[in-house]
Amino acid sequence: MRTFLARHWYAYAMALPVVVVVGVLVLLPLAQGLYFTFTDINEANIANPALERRASYEFVGLDNYVKVLTRGESYGAFWSTLARTLIWTSGCVLAHYCLGLGLALLLNRPMRFRGLYRVLLILPWAVPPFISVFAWRYLFNSQFGVVNQALDGLGLPTPVWLGQSDLALLSVMVINIWLGVPFMMVTLLGGLQSIPGELYEAAEMDGATAWQRFRDVTLPGLRSVSSTLVLLGVIWTFNLFHVIFLTTGQNPHTRILVTYAFERFFSGGTRDYAVASTYGALILSLLLVFVTIYRRATRRQGEVW
Amino acid sequence: MAEVAYVNASRVFPGTPPVRAVDNLELSVADGEFLVLVGPSGSGKSTALRMLAGLEDVDEGAITIGGKDVTNTPPKGRDIAMVFQSYALYPHMTVAENMGFALKLRGVPKAEIREKVAEAARMLDLTRYLDRKPKALSGGQRQRVAMGRAIVREPSVFLMDEPLSNLDAKLRVETRANIAALQQRLGTTTIYVTHDQVEAMTMGHRVAVLKDGILQQCASPRELYDRPANAFVASFIGSPAMNLKTVPLTPEGARLDGLVVPLSRSALDGAAAEGLSEVTFGIRPESLRLAAADEAGMTMTVELVEELGADAYVYGSVRIGEQSERFIVRVDGRTPPALGQQVEVTVRDADEVHLFHPGTGLRLTA
Amino acid sequence: MSVDAAALRSARGETRAAPTAARRGQRSRLASIGLHGALVTASAVAVFPILWVLVTSFKPDTRAVSPTPRLLDESTVDNYVDVLSGARGDFLAWFGNSVTIAGLSTLVGVFVSATTGYAVSRFRFPGRRGLMLTFLVTQMFPFAVLIVPLHNILLALGLLGQPLGLVLVYCTTTVPFCTLMLREHFDAVPTDIDEAGRVDGLSPFGVFWRLVLPLARPGLAVTAFYSFLTAWGEVAFASAFLSVADDSKTLSVGLQVFVQQNRAEWGHLAAASVLVALPAVVVFYLVQRFLVGGLTGGAVKG
Repeated sequence: MRTFLARHWYAYAMALPVVVVVGVLVLLPLAQGLYFTFTDINEANIANPALERRASYEFVGLDNYVKVLTRGESYGAFWSTLARTLIWTSGCVLAHYCLGLGLALLLNRPMRFRGLYRVLLILPWAVPPFISVFAWRYLFNSQFGVVNQALDGLGLPTPVWLGQSDLALLSVMVINIWLGVPFMMVTLLGGLQSIPGELYEAAEMDGATAWQRFRDVTLPGLRSVSSTLVLLGVIWTFNLFHVIFLTTGQNPHTRILVTYAFERFFSGGTRDYAVASTYGALILSLLLVFVTIYRRATRRQGEVW
Repeated sequence: MAEVAYVNASRVFPGTPPVRAVDNLELSVADGEFLVLVGPSGSGKSTALRMLAGLEDVDEGAITIGGKDVTNTPPKGRDIAMVFQSYALYPHMTVAENMGFALKLRGVPKAEIREKVAEAARMLDLTRYLDRKPKALSGGQRQRVAMGRAIVREPSVFLMDEPLSNLDAKLRVETRANIAALQQRLGTTTIYVTHDQVEAMTMGHRVAVLKDGILQQCASPRELYDRPANAFVASFIGSPAMNLKTVPLTPEGARLDGLVVPLSRSALDGAAAEGLSEVTFGIRPESLRLAAADEAGMTMTVELVEELGADAYVYGSVRIGEQSERFIVRVDGRTPPALGQQVEVTVRDADEVHLFHPGTGLRLTA
Repeated sequence: MSVDAAALRSARGETRAAPTAARRGQRSRLASIGLHGALVTASAVAVFPILWVLVTSFKPDTRAVSPTPRLLDESTVDNYVDVLSGARGDFLAWFGNSVTIAGLSTLVGVFVSATTGYAVSRFRFPGRRGLMLTFLVTQMFPFAVLIVPLHNILLALGLLGQPLGLVLVYCTTTVPFCTLMLREHFDAVPTDIDEAGRVDGLSPFGVFWRLVLPLARPGLAVTAFYSFLTAWGEVAFASAFLSVADDSKTLSVGLQVFVQQNRAEWGHLAAASVLVALPAVVVFYLVQRFLVGGLTGGAVKG
């Protein structure tokens, strides 16, 4: 034991601050949150020191899970919300990756104004998201919005983008894609620049066409960075609530699992913490399943995590 | 200044089975000596050096520097300086900062640091580059900065881990001589790791040959060349390598094709005592020569001739028993045989023959 | 070729001759037009919404939204004057709070991520993989749903309503990603450098502080940028954990005044937004040359 400590104490000392902070501020709340899923806790029965009220919520077993999974609309229509979440996540991540890769490939060529393009293209990342969302809400405004005025000018129909229809989902996806592409682009550009130029030269000598070079040199070269990016992208997008929440609020057409958790959490006087936490736990388990499968599928490419 | 000793030191990497990277190394280096650790890759030579530096644990045994047990001392307490194969210069510091860094950490006054750095820079012809970052230097200059970083500290031991392997051939030969001369001048105990036996032979006062973590032989270059302790050392030291073949023994000596090389009584008795009917027969290329017309020899078919100017090396095959064996012979550079020609080869002097046990590889002749 | 220069080049993310530059001749005129056309379009899409906020910020509220928008329409700086003079709340106090909180979050977050990243990069200690996996799992739970338990814990620690409490919360959200990123940067620094440092007389922490950290500067810049932005724009935790007193709000919380009222004051909101975005953009400008390559570091050695 003494040699064990002697050998590793430095590593532990350096990791300790994070372990303590994450333990106290993440794992502890997480455990408590998971416990809440088995209770009927809400704003009315939570302990409130200001009112000197003691907690009076009760253990209800799997009641919350049963309700969420079977009760339909009054509990957020879990299954159709899940389907929408999957569309949202896959659509956003796919577009992030493809657009990010496309722009990275363009930016990776020597040309004039390269630095300028790069700065402009990364800019959306630098602006706090609630400001961007606010700008986009204006752009999508059905009366004054630039989008509709442009469509009108072209003689095209001018729909209500952020209204009670699936167009709203499309709109928030567009906004989120706009927000997320710079991060993907920058990361993939870094990945591209780390592929040795000799590989391209060798491929060219072997007579590979541009497409073959892309498929057989670029894509494999980006594999490790891509697998991390997609993994994180899926997790983040799945749990991304502020874009939707700030754009369309509680519109059921843009409801995904995490925004519904927030609706339950914040809405009205009841503040149903139990159901919100139950949604959180379900999201966590879905993502755990996804990550397990994903890691198995990408294992042969070397472990990142 | 200090002497260094490995006392049955071992480094065992955990695993199944555990790997004994350095196995029971028993080696002492005298004060002021230039010792070269040489061996093929994976022989444990770098690990042995890193154990001495304190960068690698000593799992068994001990290491002493200047008589002091440093087995569990961290690197900074050992008063050593090390030159790395990659040089490991600090990329964010200038040459002067790189060289003075260790002194700065020790709290040496700035003026003194500047003076010592300037002196070392003069010695290494680096004065003009003191304000540059390593990135802006050539390979040779970087190598000298790495040397300078070690010199400035005036340590009791220099450790060098293949410091020349990133240089081109010409610069390597030049730097080789410079390092040897510098060591001579400073008189600091130096342990030098290389895989290049030419470096080992030309630089070391003594050379320690390692293989699979085990010390094969530690001796002066001359001794190593003339009296290798086993077949591995014999094959490893010398370029081109010694001809080493398993040949049958006759009462008169060793039979190589039509040639019977007479062996000393003691060698024959030694072989007989071991009950050997065959021996590993070793002879250096320069100890073979082309036979005169009336001399007995082994018939060799010439397959390749390497002309080096003064000398030429002839590579060819000789039938030994059922097999065709390749031999290398040094001949006069002006009259080499032609390709495909059959030549008769004989031994220059029977005393230059090395005999090894075919099973253990140990030297048979005294 | 020596390790230090190569590593430095990759760590700096310096643009080496791009792979596609393997093409020797000039690209055809058509390809050139296509390339620049695509990039100009993409840049326009990227910049337009931001540009619009900037333009709007100079318009009176009534003109900000009009059926026939014009680029410059009765432009004044009135909105800025209003916002800065505190007509809608103590903007300068909010700004100060945000700077303190985002700045502290960045410092603390980057520092602890760096030490952890270094431990994970350089030491093979038991629990190392578990730590990284825990980090991944922490990213999976909608963390903001945990406001109630977090509230309780902060209360128990006496940090509720304190900027420090919020700083710690922000750190927990940024540290996992920052640790991963920095670890990759540290992996790109050759271990020879560490060893040279130890032989030169540094303690393990000295190696980290004086050699590895300076060499991972691009990674530090990027993680700092990321941490700063996360803390700077965050609303949910900030409104939950800071006291309700107006002068203890952060900018993003304070700005909600402009949105929550029935008539959105577009002009004022835009002006305030510009003021909020400005520091973020400044930070962005400072680190942008590190961004490419800084994110991937040595992760993709090929």
